Amino acid sequence: MDAGNISQHAPEGTPISGEASSPADTDSLVLGIDTGGTYTDGVLLEYHSRRVLASHKSLTTKRDFSIGIEQVIEGIHIPDPSAVKLVSVSTTLATNAIAEGKGKRVALLLIGYDPDLVSSFHMEGRFATPHYYYFAGGHDLYGREKEELDLPSILTEVNQIKDQVDAIAVSSYFSPLNPEHENRVYHAVSSVCDLPIVLGHQLSTKLGSIERATTAALNASLLAILQDFIIAVRRAMERRKIDAPLMVVRGDGTLMSDEFAARTPVETIHSGPAASAIGGRFLSRLDDALVVDIGGTTTDIALIQTGQVTVTEEGASVGDYKTAVKAANLLSIALGGDSHISLGRDKELTIGPERVVPLAYLAGEHPQVHSRLKVLSRRTWTQAAPEWLEHWFLLRQPDEFLVKTPSQRSLVDFLRDGPQPVPEILKRLDVLHVAQIDARELLRQEIIGKSGLTPTDLLHVDGYYAPWDLEAASLALDVFCRFHFWEPADVRQRVWSRMTEAIVHAIVAFLSGKLLPPPALPDDKDMGRWFFHNSLYPTHPQLETSFRLRQPIIGIGAPAGVFLQDVADALHTDLVLPDHHQVANAVGAIAGSVMVTEEILVYPRLSAEGLEVLGYYVQTSDERQEYEDADDALAHARALSRELAMGAALRSGAENPQVVVEELVDGLDTYRIRAKAMGNPRLAH
Amino acid sequence: MELVRVDTQRAYELIREKITTLELSPGSAISEQRLAEDLDMGLVPVREALKLLAHDDLVVITPRHGLYVADVNVPDLEQISEMRLSLESLCARLAAQRATPDDWVVLEALSQEQATIPPEDSQRLFDFDHRFHQAVARAAHNKYLARTLDHLFGLSQRLWYLALPHIEFLPGAVEKHLDLVEAIKAGDADAAEGIMSRHVQDFYDKVYEVLAQR
Repeated sequence: MDAGNISQHAPEGTPISGEASSPADTDSLVLGIDTGGTYTDGVLLEYHSRRVLASHKSLTTKRDFSIGIEQVIEGIHIPDPSAVKLVSVSTTLATNAIAEGKGKRVALLLIGYDPDLVSSFHMEGRFATPHYYYFAGGHDLYGREKEELDLPSILTEVNQIKDQVDAIAVSSYFSPLNPEHENRVYHAVSSVCDLPIVLGHQLSTKLGSIERATTAALNASLLAILQDFIIAVRRAMERRKIDAPLMVVRGDGTLMSDEFAARTPVETIHSGPAASAIGGRFLSRLDDALVVDIGGTTTDIALIQTGQVTVTEEGASVGDYKTAVKAANLLSIALGGDSHISLGRDKELTIGPERVVPLAYLAGEHPQVHSRLKVLSRRTWTQAAPEWLEHWFLLRQPDEFLVKTPSQRSLVDFLRDGPQPVPEILKRLDVLHVAQIDARELLRQEIIGKSGLTPTDLLHVDGYYAPWDLEAASLALDVFCRFHFWEPADVRQRVWSRMTEAIVHAIVAFLSGKLLPPPALPDDKDMGRWFFHNSLYPTHPQLETSFRLRQPIIGIGAPAGVFLQDVADALHTDLVLPDHHQVANAVGAIAGSVMVTEEILVYPRLSAEGLEVLGYYVQTSDERQEYEDADDALAHARALSRELAMGAALRSGAENPQVVVEELVDGLDTYRIRAKAMGNPRLAH
Repeated sequence: MELVRVDTQRAYELIREKITTLELSPGSAISEQRLAEDLDMGLVPVREALKLLAHDDLVVITPRHGLYVADVNVPDLEQISEMRLSLESLCARLAAQRATPDDWVVLEALSQEQATIPPEDSQRLFDFDHRFHQAVARAAHNKYLARTLDHLFGLSQRLWYLALPHIEFLPGAVEKHLDLVEAIKAGDADAAEGIMSRHVQDFYDKVYEVLAQR
């Protein structure tokens, strides 16, 4: 079975709204695609009326995202592909590549950084590449050259490493105030080699030097990856006869043209959850709400205020890396419909964080799993431990070179005839514990997959949502319960309330910015924890406590209707489930505005001894001008930033962009002029 | 190349390489369909890339006979060489007058690198020669001159591949590059112009011999 087949058998039909489209409103069709951790979703939308005409879900194919994307396009059945005027995608590609360390190799040239300072704070690990090099140069807080640029050493180093890396990133000290050294390095290095070069000041005007270096290095490591992705999407579009502009969603939910995205891939970090929030707003038309998106792998929480997704002032973080890139303010927890239900160390019920394929789905695909569950349910409880529920299976026939060791080989051979429960696998491989199986790489490469009991199976039993093998789900739950002498109905209830509690906990933590530490002592005296518990499960005879969320919750994702009602009740607010909320993420990919931000710094030019202000510099990313007085400098900066933002927005495909200019004070006598140009994406004619 | 679609850019680079390395031979017909399949790209970017290559004079689009790789012949060689000869010399002269200390650092780094390339690695030497000429053009600080020279160099590249099986690559060129860097650093415009002029003339003399024998 290859992954292509999985997608076709994936929840086909179920979440699809196949409303027929009347020819009258097919003038401006737009296609939104979200490639999430579990599913790739697509929607076909009539842009002006906001009507969702069709949608489709496929399983995400991590090793080649374009497979899932093409299946989505195919599944939507677009009657006239030439009527599609815009395609927009959000992708977890960048986030995943960073988290899994799959970016390309990068040499990071640090100019004017103090190696001792960096190492004394143990910040080398944050540079996102092991190849970093220090050189003399850089500027100070007033944009004055701190030290002469050591260009000869840089070129010597580049010459030595250029065959070992795929891209070069450059970050110079205080380069947003004066990018001269970065620009000089760019000119010199591009004369001696053909590697792509990324400059820190072009990605961030913030002054944090470590974050800027990290951002430049990550961007450089993602360039080729995002380029390949865009080319793959373009090819999928062309095979489906869609000729339209292509947009990519940023981490704050706004859109950029594919050419911009190919140059600044780092800006796509967190674009998936941001798109969900934007889609939730678009479909519900609510301007103030909390958006909760329950997916297969994670639950993501974001806030909509006055019609916008709130954005963090701090940069986006991925794994251990903190960047200077703007992203939606969101909280993501590893809990979703396909989270694995298992028993923790103290025999307590745990849900997640691992994601598995629901047994109901696996049994629907493989009849032998169904019959095995039947046999299992007839055994005595001692012979039917819950380990027997967990199945491993082959997702695709692996290429020979991917199976490296003899034990991997025998595992793959064993699974060739179909899924096997874990105890059988242990027996066959002659090991005692799952941890001894050499399967990590095979799991990561999506060669083998895991299946087990999940909330999705329980939804089948409850009858809320049952696209697959209901009987298998029910048998699996029975086996799980019998072993512990639990009642199935009771376990279902406990799973639901455990999930409700986890989501409420996440919402409270997200909105309050406070943490609820786990109890240190069995005899818990912490009022915070008591308050939280008493608000969810009122037990105190005198004191009544409760949470009240002032804004409604917009629920997104297939299981949102089931899980989030209890969450909304616990928070004493309303749950809004807009039509097509199952695919709001894909709607969000297309619902965002095209945005371009241009920042100009205005700061004083000081006399040599630093006591006297001689004038003011106006610093854009490529040039610097000088004015005698601050007002003239600021007036010029405002006009220039407006002009730059307008031009860039038009080039990146915005229709009638509107520009807003803000003035921020950034340190002593230093101003940051920020022009934001926003407009709807321009549709093809 | 600003604002060209990402896939068009990729297709342009790949097809250009096929043409300059003679994988698509001069004068041969081009099938868009086959190119798209070979490159595993869509038809639209391939078509756009071919238009750009026509602009570079590497592809010829005729209304009646379709698409061809531009031919290479002796009259072309003469026209290209007379242009390059005078413009490269001008370029060296301007570089000697205008090069900044940063330009010197680049030229020096390049000549150091050149010394490490084994003389039998003619492919690398040739790529390197191209890079060196581009660096001199940058040091001349005239972007129109640099652009024109790059265009002409692209056309000459195919001549070199044609001649490659028949000539050894200019070991003398290495020393000439070093002399040129010295002249540019010394600000000696006459010397720089002279060295460059002889360097380019040598190249075309050799290629001409080979082409005339074909």
